[in-house]
Order: sequence, then C-alpha cells, then structure tokens
Amino acid sequence: MIPPFALARPASVSEAIATFADAGQDAAWYAGGTELLQVMKMGLARFGTLIDLKGLPELRGIAVDASGALVIGGAVTHREIERSSIVGRELPGLVGLEAHVANVRVRNQGTIGGNLCFAEPHSDPATFLLACDAHVELWGAGGARELPIDGFFLEPFVTARTPDEILLAIVIPKAAAGEGRAYEKAKFRERPAVSVAVRLRVAGDAIVEAVVAVGSMTDIPVRVPEAGTALAGAPADPSALGAPLAAGAEAMAELDAVGDLDGSADFKRHLAGVLLRSATRAALSEAIARA
Amino acid sequence: MRETVELSLVVNGRAHPIRVEPRETLADVLRERLGLTGLKISCDVQVCGACTVLVDGLAISACTYLAADAEGHEVTTVEGLARAGQLSPLQQSFIDAAAFQCGFCTPGMRMAATALLAENPAPTRAQVVAGIEGNICRCTGYVPIIDAILEAAGAVDAAGVSEGAR
Ligand SMILES: Cc1cc2nc3c(=O)[nH]c(=O)nc-3n(C[C@H](O)[C@H](O)[C@H](O)COP(=O)(O)OP(=O)(O)OC[C@H]3O[C@@H](n4cnc5c(N)ncnc54)[C@H](O)[C@@H]3O)c2cc1C
Ligand code: FES
Ligand code: FES
Repeated sequence: MIPPFALARPASVSEAIATFADAGQDAAWYAGGTELLQVMKMGLARFGTLIDLKGLPELRGIAVDASGALVIGGAVTHREIERSSIVGRELPGLVGLEAHVANVRVRNQGTIGGNLCFAEPHSDPATFLLACDAHVELWGAGGARELPIDGFFLEPFVTARTPDEILLAIVIPKAAAGEGRAYEKAKFRERPAVSVAVRLRVAGDAIVEAVVAVGSMTDIPVRVPEAGTALAGAPADPSALGAPLAAGAEAMAELDAVGDLDGSADFKRHLAGVLLRSATRAALSEAIARA
Repeated sequence: MRETVELSLVVNGRAHPIRVEPRETLADVLRERLGLTGLKISCDVQVCGACTVLVDGLAISACTYLAADAEGHEVTTVEGLARAGQLSPLQQSFIDAAAFQCGFCTPGMRMAATALLAENPAPTRAQVVAGIEGNICRCTGYVPIIDAILEAAGAVDAAGVSEGAR
C-alpha cells in the first residue's frame, strides 16, 4: 500500500509554490503518478504532501510561440502529444515517438514533464529533445529560469532542477529550412533498450550540420559530437552515407555503455550503430523535403 | 488523524458518495469498497493491464491511479459494458471467438478494446495489436482475442476469417 499523504490541489503555479514552501522538505510535485506512486508503493520514497500539478492552466496546452518554437506544457500527457495536430505539423518525429512510449494506459496518465523530471535513463523524449536543442522553463521559489535540455540530466534520476521548481514547459526551436529531426529505438520490454536521435541540416547537395544523441545506453542520455562531425559534410544522398555512418557508429562504440536487462554493453553499442543508420536516413529525408 | 476526502465517484453512470484516503488507489476502491471485482490486480506496476478501466473513455491502470483523481470524471468498468442484461458486442465476440481460458485478463482486455474501438471503430489488425500491447494474456496466445475485437468492430467476413488473417 502507498504510505499515507495529504493531497493538495492548488489553482495556480504561484499557489503551488507557496504550498510547497509551507510543506517544508516533505512535499513532492505530482502529475500522472506513473513513476511517483510506483516508487511510493515500493517504499522507495515517502512524502507528507503530494501537490497535484495536472490541473494547472500554466502547464497545459501545446502552442507555437512568436519565434515559431513549439511549446509543450509540463503537464501535457504523452497521449495528448501523440494526438496533437500542432505537434504533427511542427515535429512529426515526436508524434511517432510518443505513439510508442510505454503502453496506452501509461500514455494516457503520464506527462512529458514527469518523464523528464523523473530522469529515468530509458526515456524516449529525453533523447529526442536533446538532439532537437530543446530547453525547459522552470519556476520555483527563486523565480523563473530556463535551462537547456543538454545539461538538465545530471545522473540517473537526478536533474539540474531544484526540488521547489516546477517544470512549466518544454520549448523546441522551429526547424530551420533544410532541417530534419528523427528518432529511432530498439525496444524489447516496456522501455527502450537503446535509442538514437538525429537532427541534421542540408544545403545544396550536402549535410552541413548534424547533432546525434543516444539514450538508454550510457547512464544518462548524451550527445555524441564525433558522430555529428562524421555526418557533417557528407553528401545529402542516403545511398552515399556508408563511410560517415561507419565513423559515427565507431564514435558511438567508444561510449561508456551500461549493460542491463535490455542487453549487454556490447550489444547496445552494436544497436546504437544500427539505429544511427535508420535515424540518419529518416532525418535526411525530412530535411530534403523541407529544403 | 489521517486526511480523508469526500468523493462522489461516478462509476458506470451511477454516483457513489464515498470517503477515501488520498493514498487509496482506484483499483482498491472499486474492488473493496464498491464490490466491482471485475477488474483484477496482478502486476501492480502498470505492465499487465488486468486492472484496466476507463476514465472519461481513456484506458488507465487502476492499480496506479488515485481514486481521488477520478472525482469529476466518468469511470467505466467491465460491469458497465452490458446494457439492460444484453452483452455488449465485445462481450459477445469474446465468447464467440473463445477469446479466454482462465479469464483473468479478460476484463482488462475488454476495457482496452472498448477504448480502442471508441476511438477507432474500424481498426486494422495491426492497430488492434498496438491497442492491446499493454495487456498481457498468459493463456490464449492473443489470436482469438484479436479476432474477437475485429469481429466486434465488424471486420470479419461471412466466412468468419478476419481481414488480417487472409
Ligand atoms: C510500465 C511503464 C512503461 C514505461 N515506458 C516508457 C517508455 O517506453 N519510454 C519512456 O520514455 N518512458 C516510459 N515510461 C515512463 C513514463 O513516461 C513516465 O512514467 C511518465 O511520463 C511520468 O509522468 P507522470 O506525470 O506520471 O509523473 P509522476 O509520476 O507524477 O512524477 C514523476 C516525477 O517527476 C516529478 N514531476 C512531475 N511533474 C513535474 C513537473 N511538471 N515539474 C516538476 N516535477 C515534476 C514528480 O515529483 C516525480 O518526482 C514508462 C513508465 C511505466 C510505468
Ligand atoms: S495490475 Fe495494474 S497493470 Fe497490472
Ligand atoms: S485468458 Fe488467461 S490470462 Fe488471458
């Protein structure tokens, strides 16, 4: 059974932050509960007060801001993203990703903010958002701040967010002309075994810029700069990518992979190279379509 | 004294006034307090789907969902599928296709399928498979369950062969 707690339902973010301060160190933010209730049930965490963020208008909704960036509220569920026509138009790779997170029940309950804040190393969105250069908007006792996703995850289950801060929204820059963003994963159980995200930009006949991120392989999702460098300068032709992809796969194989129930470290390094190929091709075809 | 909250839980169209602790799960309240024992608790970690119920038509894991969160929403359990003693098309098709053996997964399967068909009344076989991906059956091998869902969706031809199997 879940240990007893009080449930607070603030009506606004400022009220939520005041409630958190009143509860001292003994409160946790609560959204879909798919992780939090689970760890409390297992006796791994205990809080006197859960502060429900689901109903806060500031954390709801999906929109495009004045700069053209996609803004997703922290309490938006996986399912809402999966079914959003705005996300389908602005970042189709995220719709495809969300459709394969967990199972349909976890997608109906779980939020993107809860996923990122829990910082489980096998996160789908974390890896893709890392390649997409997203940032998160936080609001806590000390005011509001923005943090790039690159640097948000510090170690498994630990982020740069302080406990009093609420993740208000995730902001993903608009794709530049000629830019494509894709995500591929291998999955044997509920969560991804290994996943690779690629963002690249084409100009003329060449890939001029590429960012590669890998998840579920090292202890936190990371960018692999050498893999991006290997792709930059390559021809914008899916049949002519053999050497750059091989160099990218080699860079992935250098990473400090962690074996787990989804596979050994060696197997994960192998998978990362395979997924780099499919993610690069998918990103390239989106980039060419947008050029 | 432990905090309790007064709820008016709307389950299968009927309001139940009930006082619960915030920590009580919807699965426990439905089973232990309201006597709705159709849903089962098996894995208790959101993986097996035996506890699947609908909240405002969306499938959730009642094992890991607070009863207090159902306040203001409509809960549907397997007991709510039959209308005036008439089995729902899904209940009938599960019988016709022999889609259960021990029956432990069946209430959850039917609720997952109910949500799926409400959203997509004419799913392909692949969409049915994706829709019940999070519901585990240890007996049937899934084929009769998938057939039953397709049959309920009207996707079975006169010879009784489901579209995807041809
Ligand atoms: C069976 C299962 C399978 C899964 N499979 C996958 C998968 O394939 N891929 C994947 O990426 N994920 C997977 N997940 C993880 C899933 O995405 C997360 O559980 C879910 O998104 C967490 O969101 P939540 O709203 O339920 O968070 P909660 O459980 O409510 O909260 C999680 C943590 O984040 C904090 N928190 C929540 N919201 C905020 C906020 N806005 N600001 C600050 N802190 C906050 C809470 O205090 C808590 O510490 C799986 C989970 C389960 C249970
Ligand atoms: S008992 Fe809830 S999903 Fe298994
Ligand atoms: S019929 Fe026995 S688990 Fe499905």
